[in-house]
Amino acid sequence: MLAQFKYAVKCALGLDRAGNRFTVFADDTFLVSYPKSGNTWVRFLLANLLHPGETVGFANINRLLPAPGVSSKRFLRKLPRPRILKSHEPFDVRFRKVIYLIRDPRDVVVSEYHFNLKKRYIDSAVSLEEFVKRFIAGETAGYGSWWEHAASWIAARQGNPAFLLVRYEDLLADPIGRTGKIAEFLGIQATQERLQSAVERSSADRMRKLEKQQADQWTGTKNTRKEIPFVRAAKSGGWKEALPQRSAEEIEAAWAPLLKFLGYELTSRPEEVVAVPAWVRTGQLL
Amino acid sequence: MKKHLMVGVRRLFKLNRPGRTLLILPDDIFLVSFPKSGNTWTRFLLANLRFPDEPATWTNIDRMVPDPSTTAKRDFDRMPQPRIIKSHECFDPRYPRVIYVVRDPRDVVVSQYHYHRKIRKIGDDSPIETFVARFLAGETCPHGSWGQNVVTWLATMEGSPRFLMLRYEDMVADTARELARAVDFLSLSAGPDQIALAVERSSAARMRKLEEAQTEKSGLTKGSRKDLSFVRSASSGGWRSELPAATVAKIEAAWGPLMRHLRYELSSQSASEARDYESLGILSRTPGS
Repeated sequence: MLAQFKYAVKCALGLDRAGNRFTVFADDTFLVSYPKSGNTWVRFLLANLLHPGETVGFANINRLLPAPGVSSKRFLRKLPRPRILKSHEPFDVRFRKVIYLIRDPRDVVVSEYHFNLKKRYIDSAVSLEEFVKRFIAGETAGYGSWWEHAASWIAARQGNPAFLLVRYEDLLADPIGRTGKIAEFLGIQATQERLQSAVERSSADRMRKLEKQQADQWTGTKNTRKEIPFVRAAKSGGWKEALPQRSAEEIEAAWAPLLKFLGYELTSRPEEVVAVPAWVRTGQLL
Repeated sequence: MKKHLMVGVRRLFKLNRPGRTLLILPDDIFLVSFPKSGNTWTRFLLANLRFPDEPATWTNIDRMVPDPSTTAKRDFDRMPQPRIIKSHECFDPRYPRVIYVVRDPRDVVVSQYHYHRKIRKIGDDSPIETFVARFLAGETCPHGSWGQNVVTWLATMEGSPRFLMLRYEDMVADTARELARAVDFLSLSAGPDQIALAVERSSAARMRKLEEAQTEKSGLTKGSRKDLSFVRSASSGGWRSELPAATVAKIEAAWGPLMRHLRYELSSQSASEARDYESLGILSRTPGS
């Protein structure tokens, strides 16, 4: 009862965490991804692009590119519009303009495994093989499975001019070019210099340095195991070494059509036998 | 501030409507559909099956198969498990088990048009062509467009043992057979006699009669026009006489592939197109995943 009363008071003052119960405006843009798909990196890229005068870091990223999951309703209400907000939600019809960031799930699961160790959600008694099984079943992140997440967004929005699908791998290969595409989508006039500066200020090295200084000032890293970094490999294809062949095969067997559609090579089955589902067939990648 | 305080107090006494904050239990069953797709009928069918001692009516249905956007949190907390919960939401990964009712969008739009007249959202002189354009854009309700709502569920869950799709048209054609599928899916212990009774208690004739008697006591119909009924034709294919050909063409152009996948024959469909589509393995997910 006391907890409920405290919650009631928080609601009355607008201090309760917004979660997904906040008011969405028609001019909001959402940076959406499944967890561990490069979302924080893109938050840094966008915050640096939008606020060239600020030193973007973990200590202020929740203010510069807010996440409704950890911000209060009042804070979100008072933000200048149009807002750009971070989200891990699966398809939400209220989000009209969406940058959807996607990453090879074989890399996502390796990243999520280390993150869950860091957060103490699991300990090393849970093997990566075991974790992959739970990942495929959608039991590890609280936002559905990777397939459910990606399929719900892509099926509903692919081809819509207010939906931008960005592959983490493409962003790694050409960060300035892809950040330029994202800026264009947001209607931001960005010179080559400004893009380059945003990319440099969001480099993995710089983010690692900032993490060391500010880990206790950010919701994502506060009270987590310090010997496991948040900014880890920051590359693609790490699964080829990290993931047991059997686990990679399990992911490919479960999600082959989407992997193929997204251009992620299949190692365990010939690509030509995989039918790409019709709801993504007509889609165009960025 | 005053508004926020009211919200806080309502939460304190659990009189708030939980909406998306509903605490979902692992054995919950969600009855999901786009609006005007036979959801209320299916609610009656499932309620009559689950609670045979209390025939479903327009006044108790919100308690028996509640709706998170209209039923108070307190009533949810008091329900026996497993709960059957109504929803019009697009895909939600938290729903443990889902019965998804789908209906031909050409019939859905006609039904929604008349429903919006009934609840005075549009006037009688409002042209259906305008309504269809808004319907296609997903502007006639807060649950996405018909295509979005359907595809978010099919793309994520079709083929999953946690998901049962019922076509409204199949339910109209053989209600007992389709309800038996739901019984299997839910592992309920209902025999043919109980299924027949639930079908009988949820017939369009009985629902119409109850609607007349209870119209001002039910949240579903309260305050709406009395000259138009909530339970309308309760049939399929009405669009053929109600929808202008040009609007039919627009719907089929927007959602043709999805409609074909759901076995809704297109008036503009050619046989070769249909074959091509089947061979693509639409929405296929590898078996067993």
